[in-house]
Amino acid sequence: MNDSLWPTGVQSAVALAFDVDGPTGGAMLDGSIWRNPSFFTLGAYGPWRAVGYLLDLLDDHRIPATFFVPTWVLETWPAQIKAIVDRGHEIGYHGHQHEAFWQLTRERQQQVMAQSLALFQRHLGLAPAGFRTPSGDWGGDTIEVLLDAGVTWSSSMRGDDRPYVIDHAASGRRLVEIPGKWELDDYASLAYQRAPDYPAGLDRIASYDTTFDNWRREFDGSHRDGLCLTTLFHPKVSGKPGRILLLERLFAHMRAQEGVWFARCGEVAQWWRERHLSAEGTA
Amino acid sequence: MSTTLGRWPAGKRMAFVVTVDFFDDAAILVQEPRMAGREKSLSVWQYGAKRGVDRLLDLFDALKLRTSWFVPGRVAQTHASLVQRIHRAGHEVGNATFACENFDTLTLAQQGDSLTRTQAVLADLIGERPTGFRAPFGNWAPGFTQHLRDAGIAWSSSWRGDDLPYFHPGAADTKPLIELPLHYELEDEPYFAFNLFPPIPVGQPRIASYREVLGNWQQDFAGFHRFGLCLPLRLHPEVIGTAGRIDLLREFLVGAMAHPDVWFATGGEVGAWWRSQHTGNAPGHPVDVLAPLHQPSVS
Repeated sequence: MNDSLWPTGVQSAVALAFDVDGPTGGAMLDGSIWRNPSFFTLGAYGPWRAVGYLLDLLDDHRIPATFFVPTWVLETWPAQIKAIVDRGHEIGYHGHQHEAFWQLTRERQQQVMAQSLALFQRHLGLAPAGFRTPSGDWGGDTIEVLLDAGVTWSSSMRGDDRPYVIDHAASGRRLVEIPGKWELDDYASLAYQRAPDYPAGLDRIASYDTTFDNWRREFDGSHRDGLCLTTLFHPKVSGKPGRILLLERLFAHMRAQEGVWFARCGEVAQWWRERHLSAEGTA
Repeated sequence: MSTTLGRWPAGKRMAFVVTVDFFDDAAILVQEPRMAGREKSLSVWQYGAKRGVDRLLDLFDALKLRTSWFVPGRVAQTHASLVQRIHRAGHEVGNATFACENFDTLTLAQQGDSLTRTQAVLADLIGERPTGFRAPFGNWAPGFTQHLRDAGIAWSSSWRGDDLPYFHPGAADTKPLIELPLHYELEDEPYFAFNLFPPIPVGQPRIASYREVLGNWQQDFAGFHRFGLCLPLRLHPEVIGTAGRIDLLREFLVGAMAHPDVWFATGGEVGAWWRSQHTGNAPGHPVDVLAPLHQPSVS
């Protein structure tokens, strides 16, 4: 443990994270969702119903988590999103209507961040410090937009199994990145919608048993190697009645191990910043 | 759990509605126009009328289960005696448009014609006007809800967005339309439908493992049971009614029926119960969020 990445007594970190996208995304951005009630209602199920199931489950297992919320969802279902905060979880930026930042001009990215901040302040009285890019991908100027907006950490990338630091060379400022993995994105196994087709090609909904087994093995490996596991779970996908039982098995399995640090992404980022940046005095 | 007490009649904990889309080859011809004239490929879907319907009726009879079927008008004309047999066996027969048209491509007036034409065909055939409706591809135009009510439709099972029944807005009468929302994971088609060319599904994934699909359904049932919800199972005779898959369905249903607190009912019964117990949706319901934005285009 002497080269552990984590505080004393901690073997590995778990920063559960949920993207409460609801019906936001491409079809809302191009307006087609307003003529697609089946797709709209499928997405709306997440904030409307599934978030409640998830909050109860997280309570049962005493696990804090991070929820990334497009602010269109916050405006539409403020009580459901406020419940996330009231029950001790963390909220992060996720665009307003799940805009793909890599396709936006710098000015448009700035507008989305400003609009989101105003809505978080109005409805929740808070300013998030963390951000998960809708669609993940960044434009060349995204890091500067985020730093200027006061964001100190992100969970947008994929390329590692522990946090790392992203430098903005021009200004010397830095973000802590907590990368996720497709392996722990519920879209990769469980999402299904026919028109528009997700996944494209309409692959089968995977077996819940084998999905649990995959996720459990990912956790076991991460814990063994002392890493940081985060998730890209979506209430509308894995917060459904049958799949809540899958998450319940996963959480119970993780809870049964010793030395797991269940933390919000912001706490992990804070630790990483102190541990890995304070010596250089640049945090 | 106190909120779920009294949600369903006679102390039942959850509702379970078995629905069957008897679409024959109508829906697949709309979904994949290249099917036209390809007799081998079409016969994959025509198998339902030939064998699948009988196999389902036998299973439901053995289990003493009453179910809700959706039939397009054209299919009812082609398979009149089969539809009458479904009705005589005690099952509910609902309207599934005339030819499984994709309503996204029709005007409101055309949608209304498809609906009323089918009401007439089915009423002739079974001696009563259907009260249930399913949009085969899930959508309808703004304003269609009023057409449904005018045609005598009391409930629909077409949209998504909840795990309990809800009220559609926009039907200006004292009997608003009830929706029994669907879930892809509780349908047979996303797991099992297959054709090599034209490719169905479009990306041509493997047919799912029967054993693992049964496991998913059993776990979905456990979740719906735990939370006291309304589970609508959506089946297709040509998909689930094969010699190998009917056993999967039997095992699933027998397992669910072993719970004495599950209310097995038709869609019409669940809709009527919900209407008798509620006057509207909880604030912020997805269908009410959508309503002001799902409006006729101004042009």
